[in-house]
Amino acid sequence: MDNLMSEGLNLMVFGMGFVVVFLTLLVFATGFMSKLIAKVAPEAIPEPAKPAAVAPVATGSDELVAVMTAAVHQYRKH
Amino acid sequence: MDKLLDLWHASGVYNVSPGQVVMILVGLLLLFLAIRKNFEPLLLVPIGFGGIMANIPEAGLAFSAVENALHLGGPEVISSLATALGLDTTDPYAVKEAYNAAAAQAHTAAVYAANDAGYNNGMMYNFYTVAIASGVAPLLIFMGVGAMTDFGPLLANPKTLFLGAAAQFGIFATVLGAVGLTTLGVMDFTIQDAAAIGIIGGADGPTAIYVASLLAPDLLGAIAVAAYSYMALVPMIQPPIMRALTTEAERKISMVQLRHVPKTEKIMFPIVLLMLVAMLLPDAAPLLGMFCFGNLMRECGVVDRLSDTAQNALINIVTIFLGLSVGSKLSADKFLDVETLGILLLGVVAFGIGTACGVLMAKFMNKMQGGNSINPLIGSAGVSAVPMAARVSNKLGLESNSQNFLLMHAMGPNVAGVIGSAVAAGVMIKFVG
Repeated sequence: MDNLMSEGLNLMVFGMGFVVVFLTLLVFATGFMSKLIAKVAPEAIPEPAKPAAVAPVATGSDELVAVMTAAVHQYRKH
Repeated sequence: MDKLLDLWHASGVYNVSPGQVVMILVGLLLLFLAIRKNFEPLLLVPIGFGGIMANIPEAGLAFSAVENALHLGGPEVISSLATALGLDTTDPYAVKEAYNAAAAQAHTAAVYAANDAGYNNGMMYNFYTVAIASGVAPLLIFMGVGAMTDFGPLLANPKTLFLGAAAQFGIFATVLGAVGLTTLGVMDFTIQDAAAIGIIGGADGPTAIYVASLLAPDLLGAIAVAAYSYMALVPMIQPPIMRALTTEAERKISMVQLRHVPKTEKIMFPIVLLMLVAMLLPDAAPLLGMFCFGNLMRECGVVDRLSDTAQNALINIVTIFLGLSVGSKLSADKFLDVETLGILLLGVVAFGIGTACGVLMAKFMNKMQGGNSINPLIGSAGVSAVPMAARVSNKLGLESNSQNFLLMHAMGPNVAGVIGSAVAAGVMIKFVG
């Protein structure tokens, strides 16, 4: 009986200890992987894509806007 | 008249035992809970129905060919079985005991003897052999869960893995509880039984079934029913514990938005996890290997068809067989036992302790980081039960502060809990398997 109890205690201490050690290592491994990826292969595609898409609209000249407004008006009249 | 008597003697009403009646009622109760109360219906409907079918008198759906031959066959069948097992008796109980203890060769001889006499395995016994005894069904479900899991929130804040680790304390505390009950002479569990019961606290159905099928197949029915019922009860079990352990101010803490996680990180994570498992704990490789494989299929983006099958069609098919197979273990002689009560009781204790440890760990981490960056409510999500536990954290957060959305923050510890309970399962199998 006491033997069973000590087996249970052993399982608890070692089991819980191992789970904590494993997940701690996983935290470090994950952190290291994230840093490595940020350094080696930074995700460059989405960041510049957005400004590029916005840029032409922002720099669109007043003239262009006026022309388009006129065109839309013309279209709506018909 | 003789024919009429034969028909009566072959009928269920004539043959039914009180235990079978009770188990059919238990099956009906499970169906009621699943259909009317919406308790994990995807599993409890097949389990409940399977439980009813397993207890149909004389049909022997859940029994092996030898068990059926012993139950239904005449003295000459029994004595031929006894000869195959090297005995000289016609007592069916003695033969059954010898069969259960027999080495592979005598075992096979007995099966052939039963087949020669015209008896076959019951349908549900075959389901159980294929789906659970082989380990296939829980592992395929784990693959599907992997294909459904988004590790984004976990990768954005890897420290939440500590919460998933802390919540696993419920598992090990319950092992001690089960062993303690045995020492006090209340129940009779071996260390293997205790380990399988403890894993209920992992709040992860497939993991619990996998561990039980390896360590304590006799208790599998009760353990699976307890695990799935308590998963359905998460929204009732957790909130009182969470409220008791946190202050109103702590529940109001709102957390900063998570960073964007690049695709490459999500693809690499299952591989890193698999490598760590391979290096440190090969016993967890079946569970975590399938989990990582499912997740890699989801994230790599080039096998969407496989990922889609794993998380929809395949997991549905496997769930049907898994549920029916678990139901086959709900036979009266194994389920109607004081130990089942002990399992149900210890299971809910495991859940409670896991929840409490997760919350306390989150409180501790919050204190370490200045006291205003981690809402302790997300700690309770460390007991897997994806995504129910995370939703509970979110709901309690909204109660204290209607602008506080914790769902994504709670998903981190939630999926960490899945990894944690699979690691705990691996440790159990390693130490007592």
